[in-house]
Amino acid sequence: MDHATLVFASVFPVPSLSHTTPTPVATPNLGYTEPGASFGSPHAADAAVTPRRAVRRNFAWSTATRFLSLPRDLDKAPRRPRRPPDVDEALDYLIVGEGTGQDHEEGIADWYANEARLHFANHVRQGLTEVWDKDVEVGNAWRVLEDTQRVLAQVQNLYLQPFYDHILPFIEQAAANITIRASKSNDNLEAETVEAAKRKFEREIHAIFAHSLPVGRFSKTLSYMFYDAACKLFRLQVRLDGIAHVVPDHTDTKKVRRRMMLLLVGLNRIGLGQDEAQRALAYAMDKLLDTYIASHYLKVDWYTKQSITSQLRAWIENGFIPLAELILECLKCDPASIPPLQRKQWQEMALTRLGRARVEDLFDFVTNWDRSLGAVLDLKEYLRLDGAKEHLKGSFSRQVSRRLLHPGATTTYILNVYIYIIRAFNKLEPKGVILQSVARPIRRYLKEREDTARIIIASLLIDLNDEASVKAASTGELSFEIASEMSKPFTHSEDADDEASWNDMNWQPSPYDASPEYKKSKVEDVIFFLLTLWDRDDFINELKNILGDHLLKCQDPEFQKEIRLLELIKIRLGEDKLQACEVMLRDVLESRRINETIRKASDQPQDQTPQTPEALGPRTPRPRRIGPSTPLITTPPGPALNAQILSSFFWPILRDETFRVPAQIESLQQDYESRFERIKGMRKLRWMNALGDSRITLEFDDRTEDFDHLTPWQVSVVYAFQPQPGEESTSKAKSKGQAKSEGITRNAEQLEEMLSMDEALVHQALAFWVGKSVLREVAPHTYAVIERLDSSTKDSDAAAAAQEIAEVQAAQSTTVKSQADLLNERKDVYMSFITGMLTNQGNLPVMRVLMMMRMMVQGGFPFGAEEVRALLGEMEGAGKVVPLGGDVWGIRK
Amino acid sequence: MALSTGARTNGSGGATVAQRLQKELMDIMMKPTPGITAFPDDENMSRWTATIDGPESTPYENLVFKLSMEFGATYPYAPPTVLFKTPIYHPNVDFSGRICLDILKDKWSAVYNIGTVLLSLQSLLGEPNNSSPLNGQAAELWDKDMDEFKRLVLARHKTPEELDAAGL
Repeated sequence: MDHATLVFASVFPVPSLSHTTPTPVATPNLGYTEPGASFGSPHAADAAVTPRRAVRRNFAWSTATRFLSLPRDLDKAPRRPRRPPDVDEALDYLIVGEGTGQDHEEGIADWYANEARLHFANHVRQGLTEVWDKDVEVGNAWRVLEDTQRVLAQVQNLYLQPFYDHILPFIEQAAANITIRASKSNDNLEAETVEAAKRKFEREIHAIFAHSLPVGRFSKTLSYMFYDAACKLFRLQVRLDGIAHVVPDHTDTKKVRRRMMLLLVGLNRIGLGQDEAQRALAYAMDKLLDTYIASHYLKVDWYTKQSITSQLRAWIENGFIPLAELILECLKCDPASIPPLQRKQWQEMALTRLGRARVEDLFDFVTNWDRSLGAVLDLKEYLRLDGAKEHLKGSFSRQVSRRLLHPGATTTYILNVYIYIIRAFNKLEPKGVILQSVARPIRRYLKEREDTARIIIASLLIDLNDEASVKAASTGELSFEIASEMSKPFTHSEDADDEASWNDMNWQPSPYDASPEYKKSKVEDVIFFLLTLWDRDDFINELKNILGDHLLKCQDPEFQKEIRLLELIKIRLGEDKLQACEVMLRDVLESRRINETIRKASDQPQDQTPQTPEALGPRTPRPRRIGPSTPLITTPPGPALNAQILSSFFWPILRDETFRVPAQIESLQQDYESRFERIKGMRKLRWMNALGDSRITLEFDDRTEDFDHLTPWQVSVVYAFQPQPGEESTSKAKSKGQAKSEGITRNAEQLEEMLSMDEALVHQALAFWVGKSVLREVAPHTYAVIERLDSSTKDSDAAAAAQEIAEVQAAQSTTVKSQADLLNERKDVYMSFITGMLTNQGNLPVMRVLMMMRMMVQGGFPFGAEEVRALLGEMEGAGKVVPLGGDVWGIRK
Repeated sequence: MALSTGARTNGSGGATVAQRLQKELMDIMMKPTPGITAFPDDENMSRWTATIDGPESTPYENLVFKLSMEFGATYPYAPPTVLFKTPIYHPNVDFSGRICLDILKDKWSAVYNIGTVLLSLQSLLGEPNNSSPLNGQAAELWDKDMDEFKRLVLARHKTPEELDAAGL
């Protein structure tokens, strides 16, 4: 007993502390202070009442306690001898006889319990504290638990043995006496009393044990032990603190199981298997479930693409639950088997966790479609559970907005991912409700991107069997996925109305989260989703533009892809709106026939071999079907001309710069025109020189070069370097005389004048030819033909630089007019609209103006608020309108 | 969008009326007539607001008049209902803006359009038909006391801004 305890006991008498030393036999009884009572304590009075009994009791007490005292040294605990007669007598007196504790007197059983407690505190606790005082290392968990269990079990034996041997028999006897006294021979009562005394003592011992261990740490260690055992049993690889903790494969699961069971039974015997242990078990099982779900057993099945939920269910049923039951049995819990309802709940819990784990990576699964089919099938199962759909939608939408809908993603990429999403979610939930809700932000975002429609339509035109275009698709401008969707056979279900079909045995109600108006579209292929991104009309307009451009550039004389595309779109969008596209397609096809007819007719009289066809021009004028077009070939044998006759009414607005084409071409055009008029009954052609495609051969002093796919203005410009009548001699003389490698020299202004060509076109063409080392800029804006190519670096440098410029310019030029051109062209109309609107409707905000324009302008107003603001700004400059603040504009009075 | 809305509200003939009106609007915008503008009030093309400037060397010189036009489902086979929104003192216009003009009544023909109606109204300002006045006093003063007539015209007239302020 340490000093502090003694001090404490002197003030607050604690029987358990003050009684310890049995009174020596020889000590005279002073008659004042009872053992167990402090000097002057209230107990003293009691003692005085029955001095005689007190003396006797005191004596018996002394004898009994001396006999029952526990040895200091655990290991040397001697086998207890048989009770000597005096002890027997003393115990009998104290328990059965008069010496039974009265009132506040301490009973011998209580004393023994205290003795055990003190003994534990003095001799055992120290060792345990040493082990438990510091954090228990994971690797030691088993050992620590086992050691603790062993020590405590030993101690428990030590304490229980004397109690059972020496105290219980007397208690039994006492109980028997009472029964006799009560003249009721009741064995049960007797047994109960004994049992109660036994339980009480055991409980006290267990309480001592339990209190000797740090609760949290013990529980954690135990929990880890469960977890570790389970991991070993199920052969799970566990990672701790990021360090792979490899479970040796040779671990014998039987051994582990035995070891765990022994430990548990042992712990339970020393009273450590109660609530605390069950809590630890619950914690461990929870963690086990997570570990299992994250383990290699449940990784996504990338190869056979199966769902692994059945494995999970089987494991819960055959692995997880039996383990839990086994442990509960070892801990002697009351209901050692799991009720069916709980089993089901555990199944669902496991499924939910699996689902959540999958949802977290859903975006990755989607982008890796369809190898990730297994993961999506797992989710399908998960979706049946409460709240799963909401969780999936919310989580996936967040993933999409974080990882997809940002400026860093190319439109092609977004389109591809959208296609994967459509495919994956169709698998996930064929009714399409979830798809609809997760796709909404993507669709909205795609609509905002300018190049979406272009990429979609252009991608639809890719030929998967054509290596060149497949290569182009890989550059990111085209979506390979769209192309492959397009090449799938189109299945159109003819069922009129699924919802009303009584014969549909697979009918299912719409999911609960579908809105009342929700109706799944019958056509469910990916192309459908893409084509419905926009209003049908908007899309068709876009289609017209892109198709027009494409047809004019197309090299395939049969136009097979285009025909197929148009047919497919017709099926999806209806035929009525696609008339213009059809006419466009028919125009180009018919042009071919007309060309052949006309060429045949012209070949015969002129005996001219059409060596190089391939010149396309396009485009038409207002009236119904008139065609136009251009092409050229300036090969010495004489140029040939093919025309494309376009019905201008149906074509998008095409670029229509006018300039003079080489004289030879011009005469060919006239010839063509007259023949066309003869065939087509006086229909007039209007040539659109800017749209042609030409091929020429240039002959220089030292070389001959062929050029393909030239624009007509490039040809016209280079043709202008041909010597003009009267010019020839001088230039020849000049070049001979000076022995220079230059041909005819012209400057840009001259060319503009000669060709009546737009300045921008002239410069573009000149840059092109410099880039091809055909021309050289001899002075600012003055160019000369390079008749003899020397290896001067100056030329090649200039050529390289010019080529870059030419390429940039070429990329900007398309056959169809750009939005900006269109805006410029119709600016006057738009401005008068705005004037009319502001005059009659009063002051209006920009957005209202935009809305009215969109609704009122015939043919649509394909621009946005920015353009309206620009128009208003321009009108403000002209003094017609004034800004009134807050984006509101009014007429200037 | 505008077209389909029109069709629903105006019945079977609505779509064609709206189309015709949209075309007229386009024509007006392509070839604006000085001193005359008109514009639909909303996407439902059946109501328009027009603005005409008073012709020079008439009492209405330098004045601006707003009119409302309403087109029925039978337009252009029936005339539009045209009212002066700006208060005007004129022999053929009453105080609630109703107009007495033959081409808006029995002389209407389907070849007329918004532009011609507004032109006619503009010329009516300078040449009132005093034989069938809606405003007898005005007809009388026009012939007898031009100064008083002008005074009354200016007294009655309100600028569009004043009208807006009055909540009309």
